[in-house]
Amino acid sequence: MIERIVAVRLPNGLHARPAAQFVQAANRFKSEVTLVKGERMANAKSIMGVIGLGVAPGETVTLRVDGSDEDEAMEVLVRLLTRVDEETR
Amino acid sequence: MTFLQKLFKSRNIIDIVAPMNGRSVDITEVPDPTFSEKMIGDGVAIDPSDGTVVAPVTGEVVQVFPTGHAVGLRTPSGLELLVHIGLETVGLKGEGFTLHVEKGAQVEVGAPLLTFDLTLVRERAKAISPIVITNMERVLTLEKLPFGDVQVGRSPLMKVEISRN
Repeated sequence: MIERIVAVRLPNGLHARPAAQFVQAANRFKSEVTLVKGERMANAKSIMGVIGLGVAPGETVTLRVDGSDEDEAMEVLVRLLTRVDEETR
Repeated sequence: MTFLQKLFKSRNIIDIVAPMNGRSVDITEVPDPTFSEKMIGDGVAIDPSDGTVVAPVTGEVVQVFPTGHAVGLRTPSGLELLVHIGLETVGLKGEGFTLHVEKGAQVEVGAPLLTFDLTLVRERAKAISPIVITNMERVLTLEKLPFGDVQVGRSPLMKVEISRN
């Protein structure tokens, strides 16, 4: 199990389109992926869970990945959370 | 019970009713590609005529967005439904929304979920509200009922059959 603290840089936070892209990416990996914000946590493979966290731009979350492909999953998912380009709006 | 009766009984069919008064349209008509391209899931949207929102199904409140503009529900059979009030309403940061349920609550179809200020949402965001199935991988069939005027808590919106797990 690996864990990383990530400051979300997405301009609109983890909502709608970036949330959908993040969940789609998480589902490509075998590892269990959990997103933690404060006292709330969500299964990162569930769109309902992820958008329900209401992660705003600049907020810090903990990404926890557990499984055989955890290193690769962590790299891909952290990159998605820290994107700032137009595509994430 | 015969085999066929058992088979029929084991089907999970969920009727989803309108959570608000207004006019229903297909999700593909929503002017936001996140919804219209079904990135979150398939569903129907309602252009609301007032600010009352009720449970479209019986089930558990699994998500209450901190900003109060969306509620997630899960039926006992496992269908997950997101009721998202308006578009770009995340930017209102809760202004104009009053929640009537908490996460973990059990609600019957027609139970009040939240109320919102329709005038404010129309002025500062868009009022058209997607009602989206977020776990499409469980959906076997999805029938959207004729679009048009809908009555809160009464008019059928969708009929969904989901797999047992």
